[in-house]
Amino acid sequence: MMRAQNSAHSIESETMRSSSDDSCRILVEYMNTPDEGSSSDKNGKGTFDEDEKFEILNEKYKGQQYSQIYFARLHNARNLLYSLVEKWKPHLPVCTVLGLKEGKECVIVGTLYKHMKLKPSILDEYSKERSAVPLVKPHNFMHPDDQLILEDESGRVKLGGTVLSPSLFVTGLVVALHGMETGAGDFLVQDILEAGLPPQIELPLDSREDKYVVFVSGLSVGSSTSNPLQLQLLVDHITGHLGDEKEQSIASKIVRVVIAGNSVEIPHGLLNGQNLGSKDQSKLSEPIKELDILLTQIAAGIPLDIMPGPSDPANFSLPQQVFILPLHRCLFPGTSAYNTFVSCTNPHSFELDNVRFLGTSGQNIDDLDKYSEAKDRLDFMERTLRWRHLAPTAPSTLGCYPFTGKDPFLIESCPHIYFVGNQNKYETRLLRGSEGQLVRLICIPKFCETGVAIMLNMSNLECHALSFWTQLGS
Amino acid sequence: MASGSMKGFFKQKKNSSSISKSSSKSHSKASSNPSVSIASDHPKPTPQISRASLHLKDEHEEVLRQFDMNMAYGPCIGMTRLDRWERANDLGLNPPRDVEGLLKGGRVGLDCLWDGRV
Repeated sequence: MMRAQNSAHSIESETMRSSSDDSCRILVEYMNTPDEGSSSDKNGKGTFDEDEKFEILNEKYKGQQYSQIYFARLHNARNLLYSLVEKWKPHLPVCTVLGLKEGKECVIVGTLYKHMKLKPSILDEYSKERSAVPLVKPHNFMHPDDQLILEDESGRVKLGGTVLSPSLFVTGLVVALHGMETGAGDFLVQDILEAGLPPQIELPLDSREDKYVVFVSGLSVGSSTSNPLQLQLLVDHITGHLGDEKEQSIASKIVRVVIAGNSVEIPHGLLNGQNLGSKDQSKLSEPIKELDILLTQIAAGIPLDIMPGPSDPANFSLPQQVFILPLHRCLFPGTSAYNTFVSCTNPHSFELDNVRFLGTSGQNIDDLDKYSEAKDRLDFMERTLRWRHLAPTAPSTLGCYPFTGKDPFLIESCPHIYFVGNQNKYETRLLRGSEGQLVRLICIPKFCETGVAIMLNMSNLECHALSFWTQLGS
Repeated sequence: MASGSMKGFFKQKKNSSSISKSSSKSHSKASSNPSVSIASDHPKPTPQISRASLHLKDEHEEVLRQFDMNMAYGPCIGMTRLDRWERANDLGLNPPRDVEGLLKGGRVGLDCLWDGRV
């Protein structure tokens, strides 16, 4: 009895719903097997994995739509904004959208909706006029006529004025606006308040020994662009088999390797719904076997976290769950023998030695790039922190599980390291907040295209790039 | 479509089959409130319950429907009333206690007003 939803994710939720209680129990038992450790202290050495809020194993799909997650988001974010509005404009009344009176200056808090002319709609397929829709999708769907609308439970109102530039915002943000209703029924915006960087637990950065975390993403094993020699160089460097003494001593201080998505690329021609012959079947599993061999070498010596990405065999919508949960022992027979190997969700949140890390495999920032503009990807990352929301465009244009009681993408506590994988180039910035927060933003480039991995020094939040390239022939 | 005949995709059904279906539907919805006009063509449910308990059910159902329609607790579609009450409680919205009592006591509709109709 599935309600018709205009979303491709209805198929996915159907399979989740039809899994019986027995199989859920088996999955839960699998998660609690002894050598996996407790879900919070995965490596048993004072490191904490905080991915529980991103796990959907205990969620039961009951036919709900996305209005529930929007309600949870609005409720939580609005409570926060109400407390901030008191200090921002204490003399102004706060009212709901339906309570607006013409000419009365006030503050309203609600969810933004951006009406975009060029945003592809599934209804275009059914439209009788076939002229306007171009067949080639543009990379970015912005248009000068885009309009912002503010919504809360009572109603919605169009936003006017020149203070807000629609190109900087996306659907799904919760903001507070100061302004007044005009005669035309629009809300003329005079000022805007975003939540701002969340509070951060301070990190004493002076007397700590050097400890390194390696970030890499987009290995794309199995694709035509991945170079096995380059991958092997990366593994050899991390495990300390390469380089002079200085390099090796740095490699000896690596405490974690984080792979931020897109580790395999299954050849697309095989996935067209037809039955596979035995030759094709082995072609399908070759990339994973190759990846397993590489990862075993790393996991043998260093704790390894692997996150699923857009091209990995995991679920499509965010939060992506651990690599096909109970099967990962089959997918990675070599690596999963080590308890240093941890299969994580995307987004991934963890703590190492009191340093908090938060990151994704790139889908959230890539989606922001389609519906808004910024100088560079780091600006998008900074905005998500200031909005205190990892993926504001979910579920509007980014696939998402329809949570009912919570919105797991709300950022409650500011991380020290915020990383995003599968970007086009390596970029990094140290962001300082108004209350003394310090965040290292890292854009991890795709390894198959750039050969670059990132090395972060946890003692001083400095990072540098490790670049691997090979040249064969004379 | 090429055949030009409507019968292929617009099957004509006998009226009797539709009547038997709707009567089985109304059976399962015996708890529906007869005093509130339902915009459907279901035949009215047979009065199997005594008038006294029917009167009580109206009141309870009315209270629960007011809870469903109250926007402060979020949208009601896709959640059972008890789940929605628990969520409202967890979020600190102080939902009315008598609604919780009614829902846990049983003998009332556990699904929201729009369940199965939207």
